[in-house]
Amino acid sequence: MRSLIIVLVAALVLAPGMAAKDPEHVYKTAEAKHFTRVEGVELSPAFTDYLYAELRNELGKTKLFVQVIGEGEAVEDADAADSVVIEGVITEYKKGNRAADAIIGFGAGARSLKIDVNLTRRSDHQSLGEIKSHVKISPRWNEQTMAIAAAHQIAHEVKNGLKEKAKS
Amino acid sequence: MNFRKILSVCGWIAAVSALAGANAVADEPKPTPENTIHVQLAAPVPPQKFAKPPKFFISEVIDRSGNPQPMLVLRDRGGVFLDRQPIQITKETLEQSLKAADLLAADAASADLVLQVYVFHFGLAVGSGLDFFGKVEFSVMVKNLKTEESQEVQAKGTSIANGAFRKKNLQKNVQGNIEGALEDAVRNLLRGTQLKEAVAALLKNSPSAPAAAPSGEMASMQVNEDNSKSCKSKVEER
Repeated sequence: MRSLIIVLVAALVLAPGMAAKDPEHVYKTAEAKHFTRVEGVELSPAFTDYLYAELRNELGKTKLFVQVIGEGEAVEDADAADSVVIEGVITEYKKGNRAADAIIGFGAGARSLKIDVNLTRRSDHQSLGEIKSHVKISPRWNEQTMAIAAAHQIAHEVKNGLKEKAKS
Repeated sequence: MNFRKILSVCGWIAAVSALAGANAVADEPKPTPENTIHVQLAAPVPPQKFAKPPKFFISEVIDRSGNPQPMLVLRDRGGVFLDRQPIQITKETLEQSLKAADLLAADAASADLVLQVYVFHFGLAVGSGLDFFGKVEFSVMVKNLKTEESQEVQAKGTSIANGAFRKKNLQKNVQGNIEGALEDAVRNLLRGTQLKEAVAALLKNSPSAPAAAPSGEMASMQVNEDNSKSCKSKVEER
């Protein structure tokens, strides 16, 4: 009876951890490109660089890729089929209103950023999915904090999208 | 009487201004052995493989950052300084990587292609305030001295590392961060498709004609892979 209880407890403790373990290194490389922006998006030039760096950082943390390479780097032909390219366009940026944020709160006057992201396979440029990211932060925080939130959200969506694709 | 009062007030204002100025000068960080870091890659970056490997020669590295204090990478907390000029670090790192892959010529005359490097950014850039954002950006003019043709190749490297409270950790993180960004920039250049295309175009009509490998394979250097990964993971730890 005692051994049965021990086995049951062990199964309860270990099973969720084993089931939740992510598949590691499904793809060989991921190339994140600098995101472009549509006309009228008033963000500093440094923002794009920071978002690019933060996105590469976050993509590395997903453990889905053996290597996250820089923009324009060559990939071996053998690895091209297992490599993805991540491109994006910043479609909208609202810098928010500090007064509205302070007086009303609850998301009013928030700073917001919209990004459309495309995932493609490197070898045949086949689309692996499209992500629409929308980030809202307080206008008191700086652009870089917004980039961190956006990169985190995109990497999370990329991970989920590619995992679904790998399963199907 | 009034004039005397005004004069004494002016005297006090001048004295306070002088003291403030002296304080500002005293706050300016000075390089010491304790706040100076040595930036060097743990292992050379393996370049892409060329079918007939060309020989490169780095003629000069020019600072185009417009930074009046290129060796001062962080002004806060007593400052953090580089032990050498960024142009010197860039040149040494590129030469080290090219030499390890046997792509470095002894002089310009014996080289197939001459590289002229323009450094636009080296060090830390504006981050979120909670972390360090390292950025190294340069552009390389690849020139064939025989045909006088040249092409521009751009390279950019970034790295994000944790901020730190203790001075010792702060210096360590800044050093790791700059090394990560430098490694990333050198890899971006040497493994980039821009360099491959430039080499192929510039040596097209050359008698020795070393063309880039079509597959874009990497040079087989065993030394770097593990070391670069460990360096990156160290930098990216948050």
